[in-house]
Amino acid sequence: MQEELLDIICCPLDKQDLELDVAEREDGDIVAGTLTCSECGEAYPIEDGIPNLLPPDMREDAPA
Amino acid sequence: MTDDEQSSELDVDRPALADQRGVDTVYGASEDSHLLAEAAVEGAKEGERALDIGTGSGYVAGALAEAGVDVVGTDLNPAACRQVHEAGISAVRANLLDPIRADAVDLVVFNPPYLPTDPETEWGDWMQAALSGGEDGRAVVDPFLADVGRVLQDDGRAFLLVSSLTGIDDVTEFAGEQGLNSSIVAEESFPFERLVVLRLTVE
Repeated sequence: MQEELLDIICCPLDKQDLELDVAEREDGDIVAGTLTCSECGEAYPIEDGIPNLLPPDMREDAPA
Repeated sequence: MTDDEQSSELDVDRPALADQRGVDTVYGASEDSHLLAEAAVEGAKEGERALDIGTGSGYVAGALAEAGVDVVGTDLNPAACRQVHEAGISAVRANLLDPIRADAVDLVVFNPPYLPTDPETEWGDWMQAALSGGEDGRAVVDPFLADVGRVLQDDGRAFLLVSSLTGIDDVTEFAGEQGLNSSIVAEESFPFERLVVLRLTVE
């Protein structure tokens, strides 16, 4: 993901700001890291360049 | 019962429309995608910021990106997110507009799962998530309409694909209750359904 994405995304639970913690960057693209809600503290993973902003109770709830 | 028997039974239970459209793990671009992409590109300006909700194969997002729109694709399905990301489009795994800020975008496009589905024959995989709109076909459309006004900027527009199978009047009526004006900007008729693209703006 690009850092500018922070302009449009927020915590899905309380709509508050997300703080970005970059673990791996490749040509300006954030490949791995964590987005943490500044209010409720919920952490959302960035994997393979894709932030997973599903609420925690939906994260594992994947159809077969 | 063996696993094989279970899977063959599931195949039989799949709705005919899903069969006609080809069954895979990511819903591919179809007539509805073309109609929506055309209307969205026509209603967008270069440099605007857009969201393609339930981006699937990324067809509509790709058309917007080609038109110079700054587009982000979201999907519940991780395989769809990967496909879109690999095509060079920004992807977010999300449920509808849940992780989107207020007044964040100029444009929202959505080709929702809209087929009315008998709960007895729900088949429980990613294709169901992409196609089924629950018993009345509006299980996903209604929550979208209830929230889309929040994320649109003042002069923002949403383009929503709706089928006659879902009930176009029911959708526009519910949109009105959510403070949204709607008008039909594109339509196409098929043997079993009429597809329309609704343009929605905040009243």
